[in-house]
Amino acid sequence: MNRNLNIAAAAAVLLLAAGCAAKKGFEQPGFAFGCPIGEAKVSSMDDLVRTKVVSEGRRTTIQATEMRCSKAGELLKIDANLNNDSRSVKRLAYKFRWIDREGMRAWDEEPWKPLMLYENSNLVINTVSPTSKAVDFRLILRSEE
Amino acid sequence: MSAARYRLSLAASLAAVALAAGCAKEQTRYGDARAVETLTNQFGSTDLQLMAESMARSMLHAPVIASSNLPILTVQEVRNKTSEYIDTRAITDSIRAELQKGGRVRFAVDAAGMTQQTEELKRQQSELYAKEQAAEMGRMVGAQYRLEGNIISIVKQVKETKDVYYKLNLQLWNIRNGLLEWSDEKEIRKTTTRG
Repeated sequence: MNRNLNIAAAAAVLLLAAGCAAKKGFEQPGFAFGCPIGEAKVSSMDDLVRTKVVSEGRRTTIQATEMRCSKAGELLKIDANLNNDSRSVKRLAYKFRWIDREGMRAWDEEPWKPLMLYENSNLVINTVSPTSKAVDFRLILRSEE
Repeated sequence: MSAARYRLSLAASLAAVALAAGCAKEQTRYGDARAVETLTNQFGSTDLQLMAESMARSMLHAPVIASSNLPILTVQEVRNKTSEYIDTRAITDSIRAELQKGGRVRFAVDAAGMTQQTEELKRQQSELYAKEQAAEMGRMVGAQYRLEGNIISIVKQVKETKDVYYKLNLQLWNIRNGLLEWSDEKEIRKTTTRG
């Protein structure tokens, strides 16, 4: 009787552990929130944003706050949330830079895309990689004020 | 004023004008072809680049392109329904270049390039060329899909403010069965205020 109870308890613990492991292991190694991170240590959304977002030219006060990626066939689909927490309309330009497996540019430099964000608002920008050679990316922001 | 003094004064004025013209320095510099261009609110390079990139990326993950093995497309006309001159061929050329570079589609010769294509074929069939290497008649491959669309604009002006709205709509039609396989739009709004 007691032995049966012990076995049942052990089985329950194992199942629970397996369930937790599956949840934790949902993300592929080298990816965070679906986005490729390579060897970078990313343990939160802030870390991911810091790894992927670069400022060039005039700095903007617009912040990328969230980023998620998914695979669309062989291509990489990206959603990035931009936040304007100021009390005025802000203008900026952005582009994505595509990187291949060797860390080289996988695609020509994209055109800057102008964007307007209303005061105290969020805007999700999305894109899809231009080629299956692009396995990583950077989101580049600059102010257009 | 005597004639001699008049001539002297005229010569001095001319010299001053020539000097001033010489001093107005002209400077030419190369710029970033991919920068945001806002010189006027007419259709510009940024609009062309934004529309082409947005449409090409959208088409890339359309099921008909993503699931096919190098589908063959042909580019038809993008009708300009705006009030200004826009070289719509430049838009479709850019989309074609982006898609071709991505290596996921192939393009068959379109109506605009047909004359050159057939002339070259006929030329190779002449006695000037070695028969075994010349391109044969009847070997051209027809497209499976045709790309067409239109661009419209709405322009409004009140006093010193001018607002321009552009919308490019593209469609990908299945030539065999006439089905619309993909369609997307890109909108751009520009507002210019004087003063």
